[in-house]
Amino acid sequence: MIERMAKVEILGLKDIALEAVDVIHDQGTLHIEDLSEKIGAMEGKRVSRMEMDPRASEHEATLNNLRSKVGDMIRELQPEVETLNQAEVAVEYKALWSDNVDTMIARIQRMLSDVEKDTRETVERKNDLMVEMSRLEKYAPIMAKVQPLAERVSRMQDMASIALIIERKYKAILNYLNEEISKITGGECEVVASDVDEESTAALVVFNRHYLKQVHEFLAVQDVNQVRLPSDLARKPIDEAMAEVRARIAQIPAELDGLEGKLSEVTERYSVKLIAARNAIHDRLEAMDAVPKFAQTDQVFIIAGWMPEESVEPMEKALGDKFGNKVILTVVDVHEHAEEEEETPVALRNHPFVRYFEIIYMLSKYPRYGTVDPTVIFAVFFPMFFGFMVGDMGYGLIIMVLGWIVHKKWSQKPLANMAGYIMTVGGAWTIFFGALYLEFFGDWLARWLGVITVSANGEAHVDYILGTENSIFKYPIDRLEGFTFMLAVCLIIGLIHMGAGLIFGVINGVKENNRKHSMEKGGLLMVLIGAMMVIAKFGLGWWPVWAAALGGLMAVGGLVIAAIGGGMGGAVEAVVGAGNLFSYARLIAIGLASVIMANVANDLAREMGKGGKWWGIIVGAIVFILLHGLNIVIGVFSPSIHGLRLHLVESFGKFFEPAKYRYEPFKKTGGEE
Amino acid sequence: MESAVKVGLIAISAALAIGLSAIATALAQSRIGAAMAGAVAERPELVGSAIIMVAIPETMVILGFVVAFLITALKSAE
Repeated sequence: MIERMAKVEILGLKDIALEAVDVIHDQGTLHIEDLSEKIGAMEGKRVSRMEMDPRASEHEATLNNLRSKVGDMIRELQPEVETLNQAEVAVEYKALWSDNVDTMIARIQRMLSDVEKDTRETVERKNDLMVEMSRLEKYAPIMAKVQPLAERVSRMQDMASIALIIERKYKAILNYLNEEISKITGGECEVVASDVDEESTAALVVFNRHYLKQVHEFLAVQDVNQVRLPSDLARKPIDEAMAEVRARIAQIPAELDGLEGKLSEVTERYSVKLIAARNAIHDRLEAMDAVPKFAQTDQVFIIAGWMPEESVEPMEKALGDKFGNKVILTVVDVHEHAEEEEETPVALRNHPFVRYFEIIYMLSKYPRYGTVDPTVIFAVFFPMFFGFMVGDMGYGLIIMVLGWIVHKKWSQKPLANMAGYIMTVGGAWTIFFGALYLEFFGDWLARWLGVITVSANGEAHVDYILGTENSIFKYPIDRLEGFTFMLAVCLIIGLIHMGAGLIFGVINGVKENNRKHSMEKGGLLMVLIGAMMVIAKFGLGWWPVWAAALGGLMAVGGLVIAAIGGGMGGAVEAVVGAGNLFSYARLIAIGLASVIMANVANDLAREMGKGGKWWGIIVGAIVFILLHGLNIVIGVFSPSIHGLRLHLVESFGKFFEPAKYRYEPFKKTGGEE
Repeated sequence: MESAVKVGLIAISAALAIGLSAIATALAQSRIGAAMAGAVAERPELVGSAIIMVAIPETMVILGFVVAFLITALKSAE
């Protein structure tokens, strides 16, 4: 249900405005209304936007700077935020927080300088080592290729060599280099090349030392990458340099591990402080951002907003205790201004079981204030639709267990926590419908119990436990054989589901004193029921003619009422809405696809293991597990998506009015962001 | 012979019912999918709505499947 909200205005003396903002921030229940737009439209302009402290922009800049420094530090140290003790974070938050912004900034700066002092050297050394490692790793394969050639050159006293690295696609340039260097050296040169990896080729140019300068100049002009070793290795013979490179590559990981150890000690020492600082800065900046949304006159400040009705008294008491009659809280009667009700932010308060189903509002806006919250429709029908479509005891058991694990394991992550709970409830419904269809991993159980028997020519026959083949109601309900019956059940479920939505639509109209809206929705409901009463005559031989005639009259009457309520659009909506009923056929269609796939998995596995050979049984078991596994994965996604669609399009589409705003109170994070 | 032709025609009708509706769904989903992929790249919070939007044209193939199943039921009713 939608929480009852109160519109409030808080007025007080201007000189205590910022202190009052702090009390409101502490209470954390006021959804602030931005008064700046209203002030802009006012005539006379005695009221203006509240101005911040003259030093506020300076504070804001410093806090933003601190926020980015703290953020960098958190990224560098990577504390495990989820495992932090929130009580410790809250204590640290209180130690950093101060009503005086300068004091708070000084405390955070002091803490940051401590962290920097303890981490700077280690972090810099770590970064240097990582750069060195990546350079050496680049050199190593090149040098390994060039080394044997260079060793031969080093034995020739008057010869010099230069190592080059070239992209493989430009390898042809080596011929050109060979020709040109030959011209420079009078033919006393040779170029030897070898591929390093898929992208690069290493080459060694060997030439008479006498032409060293000219060759260097030529290569510089040609913009060819020469392999330049770190300065300490550059002057050494290549085999010595290579040995050193290998030794460094072996040493660096151990050094890095040592540094990581040091950093994790620092992380442990400062993670609580850093997270608390991040939260405190966030809250302070949020409070500063809120100030321009308030109004002021020469003498007083004005803060307006909404809060849950039950929070009005505590807020009044907190303000009264601190400021006496210098600050006054007034509750405004929004019913006097209809447009105010539309602006009211919406908060939901549902039973804990239903609350998990508020996940639907991750896909849609909240319902408008003053209308009915349809979460309960979703909580009842969504898992039921899911179970109706999947309908297999084995699958239901697996889905239920997986859902419960997800729900418990990710209890801190709202989406996973909610989805896990819904999966668990959906799994329970799946088991229920699985029992109705007598399906356990497809027809496996029914065959084992002898309910399904296969004749010599391969045709399956169902021996019903209750009823016979010709009975309307029989057990088990075979989805393949009883397709027409199940189709009818789907249409009836659709009628109930859409009907509930339309009844909500009628109630919304009554709550809003909008008689035409109620007539439009009521008319559509009559068309739906009437059409079903007429259709029933074609499917059920015993259906009385008078009931079909009454249905026809109801449908026509409903069409007229919908047209009176919603005009031409209402009449069209009534006809299209009745057509939406057939969309519920997906409930059986998707279920049928699932059961056919499960039976195929069983048939294949059975065929594989038929000969009794061990490898046949193993292959059969693998096929069984893989196909049923795939069917379960599809069975989780497809029914969820179609269940959501039936709610958002077919049912909610008939009555749902979205809210403009969600209730987002102006509150401190209190140690958690 | 006549009965075999009848069975064949029933099978072709069922195949057309599901095949054509599947093609129509695929065409619609390809367009919606491309548009929603673009929208999600710009605004990742739309991913939930994108899934629902892509699922909307599936009504066609689902109804095609239902009709195909009802057509095949004609064969077993004989």
